[in-house]
Formats: sequence, structure tokens, C-alpha cells
Amino acid sequence: MKPIRGKVPIPEANPADTYRMERHDRTIRRAHKWQPPIIPHHIRGYQITKNVNTCMTCHSKKAAPESGATAVGKSHYLDRDGKEHPNISTRRYFCLQCHVPQFDAEPLVGNTYMP
Amino acid sequence: MKEWTKRVGPWTIVGLFAAGIIFWGGFNWSFELTNTEPFCTSCHEMQENVFKEYQHTVHYTNRSGVRATCPDCHVPKEWGPKIVRKIRASNELWHKFVGSVDTPEKFQAKRLALAEHEWARMKANDSQECRNCHKFEYMDFSEQGRRAVRTHSRAFDEGKTCIECHKGIAHQLPPIYQEIGAPRAVAAR
Amino acid sequence: MSLSRRDFLKANAIAAAASVSGIPVKALPADAAKESDIKWDKAACRFCGTGCSVLVGTHNGRVVATQGDPESEVNRGLHCVKGYFLSKIMYGADRLKTPLLRKKNGVYDKNGEFTPVSWNEAFDVMAAKWKDALKAGGPTSVGMFGSGQWTIWEGYAAAKLLKAGFRSNNLDPNARHCMASAVAGFMRTYGIDEPAGCYDDLEHADAFVLWGSNMAEMHPVLWTRITDRRLMNPHVKVAVLSTYQHRGHELADLHMIFTPQTDLAILNFIAHHIISTGRVNKEFVGKHVNFALGNADIGYGLRPEDEREKRAKNAGDADAMKPISLDQYAKFVSSYTAESVSRLSGVPARLLVELAELYADPKRKVVSLWTMGFNQHTRGTWVNQLCHNVHLLTGKIAEPGNHPFSLTGQPSACGTAREVGTFSHRLPADMVVANPKHREVAEKIWKLPAGTIPEKPGYHAVLQNRMLKDGKLNAYWVQCTNNMQTAANLMQESWPGYRNPKNFVVVSDPYPTVTAMAADLILPTAMWVEKEGAYGNTERRTQFWRQQVKAPGEAKSDVWQLVEFSKRFKVEEVWPPELVKQKPEYRGKTLYEVLFANGEVNKFPGGDNDESRHFGFYLQKGLFEEYAQFGRGKAHDLADFDTYHKVRGLRWPVVDGKETKWRFREGYDPYVKKGEGVRFYGKPDGKAVVIAVPYEPPAEVPDKEYDLWLCTGRVLEHWHSGSMTRRVPELHRAQPEALVFMHPNDAKKRKLLNGQEVRVSSRRGEIRARIEIRGRNEPPEGLVFVPFFDEGRLVNKLTLDATCPISRETDYKKCAVRVAKV
Repeated sequence: MKPIRGKVPIPEANPADTYRMERHDRTIRRAHKWQPPIIPHHIRGYQITKNVNTCMTCHSKKAAPESGATAVGKSHYLDRDGKEHPNISTRRYFCLQCHVPQFDAEPLVGNTYMP
Repeated sequence: MKEWTKRVGPWTIVGLFAAGIIFWGGFNWSFELTNTEPFCTSCHEMQENVFKEYQHTVHYTNRSGVRATCPDCHVPKEWGPKIVRKIRASNELWHKFVGSVDTPEKFQAKRLALAEHEWARMKANDSQECRNCHKFEYMDFSEQGRRAVRTHSRAFDEGKTCIECHKGIAHQLPPIYQEIGAPRAVAAR
Repeated sequence: MSLSRRDFLKANAIAAAASVSGIPVKALPADAAKESDIKWDKAACRFCGTGCSVLVGTHNGRVVATQGDPESEVNRGLHCVKGYFLSKIMYGADRLKTPLLRKKNGVYDKNGEFTPVSWNEAFDVMAAKWKDALKAGGPTSVGMFGSGQWTIWEGYAAAKLLKAGFRSNNLDPNARHCMASAVAGFMRTYGIDEPAGCYDDLEHADAFVLWGSNMAEMHPVLWTRITDRRLMNPHVKVAVLSTYQHRGHELADLHMIFTPQTDLAILNFIAHHIISTGRVNKEFVGKHVNFALGNADIGYGLRPEDEREKRAKNAGDADAMKPISLDQYAKFVSSYTAESVSRLSGVPARLLVELAELYADPKRKVVSLWTMGFNQHTRGTWVNQLCHNVHLLTGKIAEPGNHPFSLTGQPSACGTAREVGTFSHRLPADMVVANPKHREVAEKIWKLPAGTIPEKPGYHAVLQNRMLKDGKLNAYWVQCTNNMQTAANLMQESWPGYRNPKNFVVVSDPYPTVTAMAADLILPTAMWVEKEGAYGNTERRTQFWRQQVKAPGEAKSDVWQLVEFSKRFKVEEVWPPELVKQKPEYRGKTLYEVLFANGEVNKFPGGDNDESRHFGFYLQKGLFEEYAQFGRGKAHDLADFDTYHKVRGLRWPVVDGKETKWRFREGYDPYVKKGEGVRFYGKPDGKAVVIAVPYEPPAEVPDKEYDLWLCTGRVLEHWHSGSMTRRVPELHRAQPEALVFMHPNDAKKRKLLNGQEVRVSSRRGEIRARIEIRGRNEPPEGLVFVPFFDEGRLVNKLTLDATCPISRETDYKKCAVRVAKV
């Protein structure tokens, strides 16, 4: 039996590894249809502030056909009470709360989940 | 020896020539001093706002250590436009004096105007300062990501210039209207 | 509310179909469960204290999908990224499926290898060790460390087994590391625990002030509600105070980075500003508020031989306070001027005034929110109180949109750790062991002889590790938490304590965590929807779920383990003869018969879960209904057991089937009588207390040798010590390693490059990690931030085990370190 920290005993300092954010652009398959898509590209330097959400320059309904990016889903136009609006709901404003990019790390341990 | 040289004396000519070099050199030296990152960030307005933001971007630190400092993007390289830009910049001294952006809140309030100013300047000169390093004709599409290849090909065909897409790459962006939530009062489009 | 289980499932199926996001779905593998085959039921999310409701989809005995519950008031169909991956947390390939005992040559050996054993053998060895310890050292030599992730009945069963069964108050939950300061703040100010308001405040407030809380990452779904409120209503203001810049600042209108510990001074300045500008709500204060002066110079909760403890005048009397007048209080805070506090905190005076105005302006409704920045603080209780003070001075409390709101980090820190009484000094429903009347109430409900529950509070979390190291706590059981990773000062206290040859340490966990690896016996545990459960979230909402799948292998739930273990003890083996003499009918009986098969807990038949089938009665219902007796009629009323299985949770007190959104205010709280308006009924005179306490410096400050502040905390993608989330490949790949977040100038000064591996060291230990100067957290010069989720780094090798002397909660946010190239 081995812990996910590896072979280095607990009281000793474990060397750190180096990871880079994945840059490939291909859609990553979802575990199940209710899972938000993973971000398949790096996002370093992209801004989501009160002023602007740079994800929307490609992923908004309007920009997506031109940019080739996945457009935000219909659910994102519903407010807290389930009412549909022409604009994206501000409760979905901070994309990274649900959608995350990936680093080039190997899983620490397998996962036997099956859809 | 010509008559006039006799009249003013050869040493005077040598002296004037030397003085010319010294003055020109001195002017250029001090002029170029104002074209360095330490000079640009010597006031707290720059230090606390734009420089702080910039330190988190790819133009400050990146894979190969090639950097763009403030003047690389904000001051033209050619002598004429450079002098024009510098004369205009003397306006900034006035604003420093009256404290136009001496707090981050005041800076935020002006961010939209300041950014639009700079975007307009860069659009007008075809993003010349970007192109000092990023030359389209030397780009290798086989090294670019799929998204970049697709967008760059189209953008260049359409005659677009760098700044039209690459806004906010070194600093935070001002409010920009997007189809999110309620419409905003102050925003760029 | 009168929804049957069948209706419930039907409604969910419709909701589930309706909430599909509309994004094109890539084809799933052919063997994937067909959508129509998936059976949906509700559960509470396994992670933070927000308490999102989740719909769990099962097929062929396995969880195949989860989605945000559209019917839930809390999250209305949303989750954070962790919640969306709940379906994978139980399926890490290294799930523990059998008990593991350290053995050499076929017998237990402290230095042996982990060897699979049967439950029988595990409990035999364990019971023998417990009996040895009880015989040699008495009840105080046994103890347990529990969890704010325990279900309500698990915490209750543990409290009963420890406090009544083994007669040891050495039971403490990991919530001690998390919420103890908030508890002490509520108890001292209002005389009753937990927030007066609820999440509905988030849609009512005009201003939000975040005090040491990165809600954007730690309470993402609540953050969506604040984001929604702020972006749709331009008049709303968000103020974010922190010792470093984080994602919460993305929404902030007022940004404040303050020097660690100076939040105490900032809050006193706000009080001073309210008073000096004549904005005290005189009517409210006159009717509902008393003033007191708390003891100062109270030390840092370190070991008594530490110089800092010896120097502190009131280290032994931290809790004391004496009454003062409003005028005396005004004088006390008058030295906290904008200028002096600005110098101390580094926050510009104009921002301090702007912040104070959010509170002072009578037209603005304001919600203060805090998490670990306040609670994990050597003056955690004080800083909690100081925040209550400014709300009390202005009367901005206990009504929609006005509320000092403490957010919890764990799913049942409130519901289990706090309400059930799993702290070393507490009993259920806010009662304490030191109060003879409270002990009497508990002994009556538990049908115990008088004097069973010891009056002296037991070892709290930090003291447990110290006592393990000192060899005074010898039989120790850890359930549902990863304290080797999360307790401060690993190298000097936790590790030597667990590995002390005098001690036998048992760890129950689904996975081989570092705590499990440091134990002598590991018990494999059923988790989340592998058992029937109940959690209580931050807003007093109690939520239930049913067992939906079976646990793998031999894994058993914590409640099964506790109740089954109690069968190994006869009362005569654990109680002194004079106690047994009082109840002769208990002679020869086991703790199981006395505590669990006691006519109360075993009175309900049925129960569609593994525990009830094993014990022959509806164990969870029995435990819950017995526990609920403590709070009913005492402002902690819970609804009946079956109701909770039908609803998306209810906020207590639940009186006549109705939940309570705002406490202490007439019209909302059934415990406030007509005509009273507001009554803080936790206090005998119905008045809350504004307690005057000063700024005092932290226990350890950067110096020449260790020149940086270290602040630790969480990240969005991992939950606490990462034992669940790091086994989900997508979450691991989103945040593979803990980084040292650092200011670019600090890196430059040390000639460090972004991404370079560094050695971070303190007076207590060292770790190796990579630095990040362009990350999501932007510390000011002089401070580094390191998350604690990564068992590869173990940042708690560096932290100092200094605590708030009142709440005994550790300060994980401030100690001194240095950073150098490896």
C-alpha cells in the first residue's frame, strides 16, 4: 500500500514536479452529460474581472460560430428562478468555478468510475 | 586654412564639435533614460496599477525570457514619432502634478479612456510596436495552436492589426460590454 | 412539503431532463448507462459548508452521474467544479476494502507492515488496547478525533460513546481547526451558537464585506449568488479584505490588502467611526445590547513552557470579561483612528473610511462574511466579536440583508460538530460539560447514572496531538478526517505523537491518507451515499440522504464502526463500581446495550440501509430522534426524521413544521414573542454583548532569519486535504500540486524564477515546492501563500500550533518562513 505522495517518508521533504498547462484544442470527453466541459486549452493571462470576461470573446453565442469555440449552453441564459433572458445570467459569470483547464499531470491513482 | 576658420580659431571648432557631441549625447542619454522600465515605474501610479498587472503577464515573464518593457510597446522606435510621443507625454507630468490618477480608484475610473487612447494610437500605426518583434511574415503556423492558425490567417486576410484582437494582454481591461447580465452604463464596445 | 418519495423521484426525473445544458454531448461509450436507466435521488454535496443539494444518478449499484439539484434553494441547479465530479470521489483505485493492522511475525507491532485483517481481529486488538489504556491511565488516556464531515448520527454516536461510554471528554472534531472561533464568538456575544440569518440575505444586501474569505474559490455557489446580486444591481458594493489578493477581488469594488492581524484594529476603527459620526442606532443599542470589556494579553495557546505564554498576563484567564458602559466603550475604541489604523494595517485611510461607511450608513443593508481569515487567528474569537460589534452598534442584524454571517468550511461543521456536541467541552444543543445542569439533562436523556459524564473539558484538537506526543493519550481513534496533514506543526507534534510507541492509533478512512499511513490500525470506511446520511450546513439547514449504493469490500460506515465497537465493552470494564451501583440493571451489559439498544435508539423498525439491516433496527432514525430531544423546545428544534427525507432541507428551529430564516426577530423567529421586536434569547436578559478588545500582535512575526509571512489555505479544485478530489483525474489535472504563490519582486530579490523549485522553511520544518508569481493568488511583497491540499508538500510542517486562547483554534494564516533555492 502506498500513499499518493509517493515513496518519500512523511517526515522528509518530497521533491516537487513540474507541470505545464495543456495546450491541445480538442474537446475532452465528458464523464456524463451533466458534467460541464473541461477547458481543452491553456488560459494563462485570460481575464475574468468585473469589467470583462475574456472567455466570451470566443465562447459567447455571437462569437462562437466565427471562433469555432463551443458556445455557452442554454442553461447559462436562465436566472436563479429559471427565467430565460437574452443575455447570459450573471450567476454564471465566473466561468472557472465550473470549467477548469488541465495540466499535463498523470493521475496520482486510477479511478474506476464508469458512466 | 580658410579665412573663417582663422577668424574663429581651430580650437573653437573642435570645442564646438565636442560640445555638440556632449550635448547631443547628453540629451540622448537622458532622453533614453526616460525610455527605461525603472523610469516608467518610478512613480507609484505606474507601480501600483499598470506595472503590477503587467508583472502577471507573458510580456514580463515567459518561457524563453524575451521581454517587452514599457517603452517597447508604448514608445515608437523611430526618432520623429518618438519625439512627438515624448512631447505628448509631458502632459502626463501635469496630471502627475494635479494627481489625476493618484489612487487605484481614480485610475480605475480613467482606465477606459486611457485604454481607448492607446488602442486608437496602436490601431492607427498598424500596431507598429507589436510588429517590432512579432512580424507576421516570420510566423511559423506549424508551431501555432489550431485556434491561433485559424484566427491569424483570417485576421491577416481581413487586414486586421494586432491590437484589434490582442487587447488586455499586458494590462487589465476596462469595462467592455458583453451579452452578460444587465447592460452597463460605462463600457467599451 | 407533502411530497411522497415516489413523487419526489418523478419530479426529479423531469427536472433532470429539463436542466440539460444544451451543449452538444460527445458520444458516450456503448456500455454507459442509458439515460432512462439512471435512477435519481437527492443528497447533500460531500464537500463544503455551503450545503448544495445534488441529484445522484445510480445504475447497477454504482453512481454514474450527478447534477446540481434544480429544486434546491441553496444552489438551484448549480455546483462548483468539485460538485460536478462527485460521481468519481468514491472510485479511486486505492479504496480501502479491508481493515489493515501493522504486524510483524503475525502479531501487532507498532513498526510492523500493514497487513489485512478481519473486522473481528481489528476490533479485538483495538478493544484490548482501549482496555489497557483505561486500566493504566483512566478515561483521559483514551480519545477520539472526529469530523465536521461526519453525518449527524455519526457525531452523535461518537459523543455518546466517548462522553458517556468511556467517560472521556477527549473528543474533538476537526471543526476545531475550522469553526471554533466562530462558535466562541457567537456564544460570547449572543449566548447561542450559529448565524442569525441565512443565504436569503445574499439577495437582499446592498453591500457585502468579505473578511478573510475567498468565497470565489471556497464557497463558489454562494459566490454565484453574490455575483448575480452585484452585477445585476449597480448600487451594490463588494468589499474584499485579505492579506493577499485572490479571486474574490475580481468582483470587488473596495480592495484592501492589510498586514496580517490588523483586522482587529480595522474593526475597532469601524466601531469608532460609527460612534464618532453619531451613527449608533441608539434605540436598538439601548434595548438590546450590553457592553463588556474582555481580558487582554491572553497569550497564544502554545505549550505552557513557551516564553510567549509565560509573558502573557492573562494566559490562564482568557475568557473573562466585565461590564462597561457605552461611553467607556466609545473611549476604548477612540484610539483607533483612520490614520493610526492606516499606519498599522497598510490600508489607505480613505479606503478605511469608505469601508466604515458601508456599515455606518443607515440606508445600506450589509452582510459581513468570513471564513478562515477570521477563525484561524490567534485572536479568532476577538475578531469574530469585533465584527458582531459593528453590526450590533448599527442594529444591522437578524433581518433580511443585514447580517454578520460566518461561513463554514465543512458540510456538517454546524449540523454535526457544533450542534451534536462533539467538542471536548460541549454536549448537544449548545450545552457544556462544565455545567452540572447540562450534564444532568444529558444523563437523563441518555438514561445514565448521575455523574457519568465527566465535568472537566477534554483535550481539544491541538492538545490531543501534544498529549499523544507526551504519552498521556494512548488509545486514539481518528474518523473521517486527515489530521496528520491538516494539524499545524506536523514535525514537532503530530508525527511524534502518532508514532510514540506508548500509543495505539486507529484511523478510519476510505483511502490511504497520510493520517492512515501514520496509524497502527486502519479501518476501511463507507463514504457519502454508501450510507444513509444527514448534514447541517452554514445556514442551519439540515439535509438528509438515503444509502444509494453499497460500500466496496468490507468497508463500513463510521456509525457502524462506533456502534459495533461498543459491543466489546462491559459497563464494569469502563465505569467505576459506584456508578454501576446506581443502575444495577446495567450490570453485565455492554456499552452497546446501554447506549444504543437502550429502548430509545432501537425503537424504530425498518431502515433501508446496511447498518439497520445489521443491527436489526433503524439505527439512524433512532439516533436522530433521541438527539432531537435535546433541542426541541430550546430554540434548536428539529423536524421529525421522516420529514427530512422528503424536503430539500429545513433551517432550524423548525417549529410547527415551519423553518426559521432569521432568528431573534419577531415575525421570523417563533421564539421571539409578539411585541418584543428583537430578543437575543441566548442571554438571560435577552441582550447581546458588545465586547471591547484591543489589537494585539501575532504569535510569530517575520524577522531577519525567517523574513516572509506564510499564509495557508485552500483552492477551488481540491477540497481540504484532497483525499477525495485528488483521486478524480480531472480535478487533479486542474491543480496537480500546491504552489508557493509569491510576489514577483520577492522572487527577484531571491533570484528565483517563476516555476522554480524552492525550499520553504520555518523554525519547525521544511518543504519543497515550486513558486508561482503569475497565479490566481497575488500576495503582496513579504507574504507567501501555500495551499494545504497537497500531501506531497505537507505545508503544515511549517505552521505554528499557536491558537486563539479562547476558542483553541489554530492560526494557519500567520507564521514566519524563508524561501530559498533548492
